[in-house]
Amino acid sequence: MKLPGDPFRLPPDKRPASDRAKRLEWLTIIFILSIIGVISAVMGASQTMKAMWVEDVLSLIPPIAFLVGRYFSDKAPDQQFLYGYRRTVSIAFLSAATALLGLGLYVLIDSVAKLVFGEAPTIQTVELFGHRVWLGWLMIAALIYSIIPPLILGRMKLPLATELHDKALQTDANINKGDWLAGLAGIFGIVGIAYGYWWSDSVAAILISAEILRDGISDMRNSIAQLMNRRPTSVDGKEDDPVPAKIEEELQRLSWVKKARARLREDGDVLTGEVFVVPQDEHSLLDRLQQATDVAHRVDWRLYDVNVVPVRSLEP
Amino acid sequence: MRVGLIEHPPWVIRANGEPRGVEVELVRQFANELGTTPEWHWGGAQQQMEALEHYGLDLVIGGFTSRSPWKDYVGFTAPYFEESIRVAAPPGTSVKTVKGVQVIAEDDWAASLLQEEGATVIRVNQIQSVTGPVAAADWRLQTLNVTNTDIELDRVKHVMAAPPGENGFIKRLDEFLHQKRPSLVSMLQQEASQNEIAR
Repeated sequence: MKLPGDPFRLPPDKRPASDRAKRLEWLTIIFILSIIGVISAVMGASQTMKAMWVEDVLSLIPPIAFLVGRYFSDKAPDQQFLYGYRRTVSIAFLSAATALLGLGLYVLIDSVAKLVFGEAPTIQTVELFGHRVWLGWLMIAALIYSIIPPLILGRMKLPLATELHDKALQTDANINKGDWLAGLAGIFGIVGIAYGYWWSDSVAAILISAEILRDGISDMRNSIAQLMNRRPTSVDGKEDDPVPAKIEEELQRLSWVKKARARLREDGDVLTGEVFVVPQDEHSLLDRLQQATDVAHRVDWRLYDVNVVPVRSLEP
Repeated sequence: MRVGLIEHPPWVIRANGEPRGVEVELVRQFANELGTTPEWHWGGAQQQMEALEHYGLDLVIGGFTSRSPWKDYVGFTAPYFEESIRVAAPPGTSVKTVKGVQVIAEDDWAASLLQEEGATVIRVNQIQSVTGPVAAADWRLQTLNVTNTDIELDRVKHVMAAPPGENGFIKRLDEFLHQKRPSLVSMLQQEASQNEIAR
């Protein structure tokens, strides 16, 4: 029997997926840090590279949010935080998304200004094994490197996100998968400079910052929606979650329940909230409520701390 | 090729209106390689850099380093020469710190660095006979009868200034300057000794 205040425990059959997801997220962080390092090393005066740098820092947020979330979801509620620590993830997500949205906006405005004022980027040569090499070629190499690992990791993470019903993981996998477009725009930008089109650098940077803004806004929307207790949705956010309806159905199947209505919210991967039931009569109500709570929790593995509340009527 | 000049010995020297100096010589050779001749324009830094920013000049020289605040407005070449300002002492003597020590310097740059470190600066026009610790660029110290200490006051990377975004031109210049790197120290030392004769 579950008591209020017990921490949420992942069912045993979901643990391998969770462990694998954690490993992949660590790998993602390591790769992204190395990409940020490589990009910083060859950044020069290129606007495109500046935008790519922001883009890559942005893509660090979801894996960190995922790992922090996994850490806190194991932590039991305590005297100070009676509902546990799960929302730290949404808060972290929101603040990071806000910060990077600002950076994305800065790069966008900066690039538009550079384009309008006709500022041509100066890219020098660097010494490499005794030869002078145009830094632009190294930028392109860095951009190619920035495309490949996230593309592969994103594909590996997507099925895990569905299995674990984890939106942070889903967001992350989607960003990884989508990043190659930004990288490609960046390569075109630098190749453009090589052929003497000074404006191609700013144009590529504008495209990339548009992509940053898109990612940032969707991150922000998701975290605000979760903090606002939006109605639960499927992991891709496109459909309503079927679980609340299923709970109502299961409870109404009990002979003593006249009517049931669920009001649930998402806390990370977990579903929590209340189910209101209208009993036929008040006969052994406490035992019945306990039974109803168990029935409700059995509907799906993600249900946690669901309270069954008896009410006289659901009509006003 | 329109070349802006800002006086800064031994890189750019104005002798009877005729330009001389290490960077002037380098640009002459570079222009020759491109099959053109340099057209010299003397001026101050502000004026020259603004002309360069708006493509009124093709190149500006004047002993610029990569720390120049103009780097956001014009296109600098890659650093082509690294210079280290060091403290040296006559053979047999040793210097652990310059704090409170009398040190000889022959230019304002070395003098200001020494002052910052708390040394007592003896400013001379030209270091000739070395009796105590001296501070100067590494290539200059090589011509004096001194041994280097571990004290490095500053390190700078020399660059030339081109118009912003002239990447092809800058690449050619980078390659040319890279080729010339081995002969730069002797060019600088020669310039310094010519200066001595002139005095």
